[in-house]
Amino acid sequence: MNNKRKLNRFGIFLVAMFVLIAILADIISPHDPWDRFEPYEKPNRNHILGTNDIGNDIFSELIHGSRASLVVGIGAAIIATLLGLLVGLFSGYFKGTLDEMFMGITDIFLMIPRIPLIIILAAFLNSSNWLIMLALGLLWWTSTARVVRSRTLQVREMDYVASAKCLGFRNSHIIFSDILPNIFPVVVPKFMLTVATAMISEASLSFLGLGDPSMKSWGLMINFALIKGGLVNEMWWWYLPPGLCIILFVYSIVSLGFSFEERKKVNLR
Amino acid sequence: MANKNRLSIAILILFVSFFYFCAEKQHGNIKKNILKIGTTRGGFKSASLLGDTFLALFARISNPPLMTMAKDGKLEGLVTARHEVSEDCTKWKFYFDPDLFWSDGTKVTAEDAKFSIKLLAEVVPHARWLHEIINEVYIDEDNALVFELERPYSRLDFDLTTYNILPKHIWKTIEDPLRHTSNDEMVGCGPFVIEKIDLNAGLIRFRKNPYWKGFQPELDGIELHLYNNNDVLAFALERGKVDTYYRYASSYPYPNIERLKATDEFDFLEEPHYGLRFLGFNLNKKPMSDNHFRKAISYAIDYEEIIKLDILGYGEIPSRGFIPPIMPAYKETEELEYDLEKAKCLLAEAGYIDRNGDGFRETPDARKMKLLILISMDYVRLAELVQDYLEAAGIDAQLKTVDYNTWISMKDRNNYDLVVSRTSPWGMFMHASWATGYFDARRTGEGVLHNVDDPNFLKLCDDILSTKDEEKLIEYASHVQDYYARFLPAVALYWSRTVIPYQKRFSGWSPNPLFGLYNIQNFLNLQIRGQDTLSFN
Amino acid sequence: MFVSKKKVLRYFIALFIIFTLNFIIPRAMPGDPITNLLGENFIASETMIQELKIELGLNKSLPAQYLDYWKDIFTLRFGYSYHFNQKVISLIYMRMKWTLALLFPSILLGAIVGTLLGALSGWKKNNMPNKATTWVFLATYSSPPYFLGIIFLYIFSFKWGLLPFKGFYETGTLLDVIQHLFLPILIMSAFTASRNYMIMRGSVLIEKEKLYVVYAHAKGLYGNSILFRHIFKNASLPVFTLIALDFGFLLSGALFVEIVFSMNGMGTLIYEALLSRDYPVLQGCFLIITIMVIAANFIADILYSIIDPRVREKT
Repeated sequence: MNNKRKLNRFGIFLVAMFVLIAILADIISPHDPWDRFEPYEKPNRNHILGTNDIGNDIFSELIHGSRASLVVGIGAAIIATLLGLLVGLFSGYFKGTLDEMFMGITDIFLMIPRIPLIIILAAFLNSSNWLIMLALGLLWWTSTARVVRSRTLQVREMDYVASAKCLGFRNSHIIFSDILPNIFPVVVPKFMLTVATAMISEASLSFLGLGDPSMKSWGLMINFALIKGGLVNEMWWWYLPPGLCIILFVYSIVSLGFSFEERKKVNLR
Repeated sequence: MANKNRLSIAILILFVSFFYFCAEKQHGNIKKNILKIGTTRGGFKSASLLGDTFLALFARISNPPLMTMAKDGKLEGLVTARHEVSEDCTKWKFYFDPDLFWSDGTKVTAEDAKFSIKLLAEVVPHARWLHEIINEVYIDEDNALVFELERPYSRLDFDLTTYNILPKHIWKTIEDPLRHTSNDEMVGCGPFVIEKIDLNAGLIRFRKNPYWKGFQPELDGIELHLYNNNDVLAFALERGKVDTYYRYASSYPYPNIERLKATDEFDFLEEPHYGLRFLGFNLNKKPMSDNHFRKAISYAIDYEEIIKLDILGYGEIPSRGFIPPIMPAYKETEELEYDLEKAKCLLAEAGYIDRNGDGFRETPDARKMKLLILISMDYVRLAELVQDYLEAAGIDAQLKTVDYNTWISMKDRNNYDLVVSRTSPWGMFMHASWATGYFDARRTGEGVLHNVDDPNFLKLCDDILSTKDEEKLIEYASHVQDYYARFLPAVALYWSRTVIPYQKRFSGWSPNPLFGLYNIQNFLNLQIRGQDTLSFN
Repeated sequence: MFVSKKKVLRYFIALFIIFTLNFIIPRAMPGDPITNLLGENFIASETMIQELKIELGLNKSLPAQYLDYWKDIFTLRFGYSYHFNQKVISLIYMRMKWTLALLFPSILLGAIVGTLLGALSGWKKNNMPNKATTWVFLATYSSPPYFLGIIFLYIFSFKWGLLPFKGFYETGTLLDVIQHLFLPILIMSAFTASRNYMIMRGSVLIEKEKLYVVYAHAKGLYGNSILFRHIFKNASLPVFTLIALDFGFLLSGALFVEIVFSMNGMGTLIYEALLSRDYPVLQGCFLIITIMVIAANFIADILYSIIDPRVREKT
């Protein structure tokens, strides 16, 4: 039991640290990440992690990059979770044709390919991180919906729900005050996982060149490091830190999600 | 516990033994002199000689076109021995080299050339314009191939540097030539012929044409190694898996050059590049249509910094005349200059003032001005710099990065204010040469701006297209460059040099302006020194 | 029966809409297939462009193209690729072969290693080795796929020269192919294994608190036999459904592995067809993936209701 709590605390600590960094980015970063100095500098006193190909301070870029990851990650997860919750709750509670229809819709959304959607959206709107966040959120609500639905199916068979029905409570009331709290332990880890996947997706899209250059992000940092000779010239201080940051941030969120799941599931036995 | 331990130890032993067993075998080509060229797969998609433009490019040494471009920019015959053109440029005559043989022993004749051009014009989408310009094609009593054209067109010899000549006796029986793919031997008449195309291994192999009667090359064969990823290609080059680097219209990535120099295993070909990067204007929209605006912008760009950051110093500041000094008939025009104060002054004089104090200038009629810089993914860094310079001059600019196909479609619909893009060496020569192909509004094509519809400019193009007179052409070229300098339909961002690394044991390289080291002369003249043991790792 | 009429109806409607989307989405992307065919040096001529469009079937109105699309689906005619100059079917066959050669070992390896180690991890005490393995798998799960790939390539091929840089093979022997596939399969297995590990571990942690485990203890079973005889089956349910879903996504998800290791499989096929707007190829690929994913979903649904009777529908 003790170990689990430790994992939890460490996860919370990491997440909190990253969120703090993202919020205080302007204050804590030593330079403006858009300022240009001498390019391709090795780590030195002025630039802890050296400079990139156009002379931006890598360490400042790293700090500001947390924002993009957070925005895309959490934004996409919020959209996906809200949508998924709504659909899953109503689908699982009312069952019948409504259920089949919603599940059919999830099947369809499951099949929409990610990259073409982003290319389409990027052409008509401006390829920005908000757009990516929207696109990812719109594509991923399906897995949350399924999980919520199956849990709702289980919970609605429980005694207290039946008794609430007998007592004549309105459906919406039952859904929100009886079922929803029981869904939480399933939704929270799903939320975390979606944040994680969204962040990795942002990095992958940047790798393909579909990222948003108006905002500093870890994915874009890695992309430029690769294109502009960072890897070939073994400038590990350029491509490793953003990669490690992605890994660390995602790790903290995912481990938080998993330990939450483990704890609550055990309690619910 | 024991189970898990045993399992992990077993896996570990499996891995280690696998590594040991499979460690890369070094197979140096001690018996044969083979040049291994590393290239990126780019648009290469299928082993269809007619259907795939990239294979057509690679096959230029096995199925050479009628003409080629020599180092000095002059066009000379490849499959043809010589050619003539009538004074009004409507009748072309090509004579054939009697000593040219296909790799199956048959002689190359004018029939093959006639067949090939007709086939290409009929079947290949980007060659169909030939239909419209060629009235008649026939073989006359001198056994020469004659083209009679619809209208005067002085550039036919240039266009013929891209159409591969095919053996008629083989291709006339092929049912669907556009889709005909072949992974094995392709009959060709060049010094090297395609022996094998293997897309799964990323390899195209050439062997010597036994019936080549020309100058005998030292090389025994050529291998093209195709990589999906430029970084991995750089690794492979450094590790000796390939001997040199080729990428159409590109230099070896500048950041990686120093590193190769340090290994002391490479020498470098450094040539001025015929193509360049530019900032293009949508002349159909305000404020880009305003001459004063464009002139002011040309002062706002820090050319030195761009050269330092984008090409690591391998270039020079361009002039207003757009055309680099390496091109024939180059004319010196005023050099572009970075003068931020002057830029701001000119903008203010032209009426672009920040009236509402938000830091950005409005149009002369006091409307908000936010410019869209449309780019495809390769130019992000360069465009970031340009955007920065514009903002420093008080112009609100926004980057829009899209994929290449979207970029073309938006550009062709005038859905942009500015673009940052490039010209290729081929592009500089196409149409009426001197980059007119990029500006002539009557044209279209992938990367062209087609933003100039000034009848003076168009007449200039037409004049160039109807004469081969050297003196007249030089005069026209001078007018074209003056036009660019005066009206700035686009601002050149830099004139660069391409750097190509190669293993030291090769020498005698002769790159040509259009295709760099990928040309027949180059492979014929290449010399190889002994067998160095250190280059086989 | 486990499958109700409603379910079947729903699948058919979903299929219809998905097929329609497969038609719409490629065409909704701005740009068109013709630009890539024309090249840089092209003099505009309306008749020429019209001719091309007619040949490619793009001159017809959208509804007419839509009808053609359905006709082709029912007659299983996939047509010719615009830019790859081959029959779509043979193109897909060629690429699919290699993608499956990458996928099957990866999914298998990932399933075996992930579920085994995950189960053991959930069952045993949370000591140092346990925590360390969990940490490694979690870190793998958290990294962007191309990042790991390129670092491994850097270490194994560049620094140590043990493995090749590109392609599915060089000389074509079995050993040669294994050598080339080794690293990509390693990377992909690592990802699936880490995901299976986490889920299996979580499942086992829940299951081991359940009553039937206590009962098994009381019966006299101890140690790992409880794990493997009773818990495993129950805990592995979510993993099975995930493996079924894997096929659809790993197909296109292997794109990054294909870019890093210069392999031409389904991932790069779809990506390149996207960039050049090669409608026939896109439609063909999406069709195949759709069928595989829907089939996998269907099987997963049925599996779920077979194995877990609590979730079966009330008839």
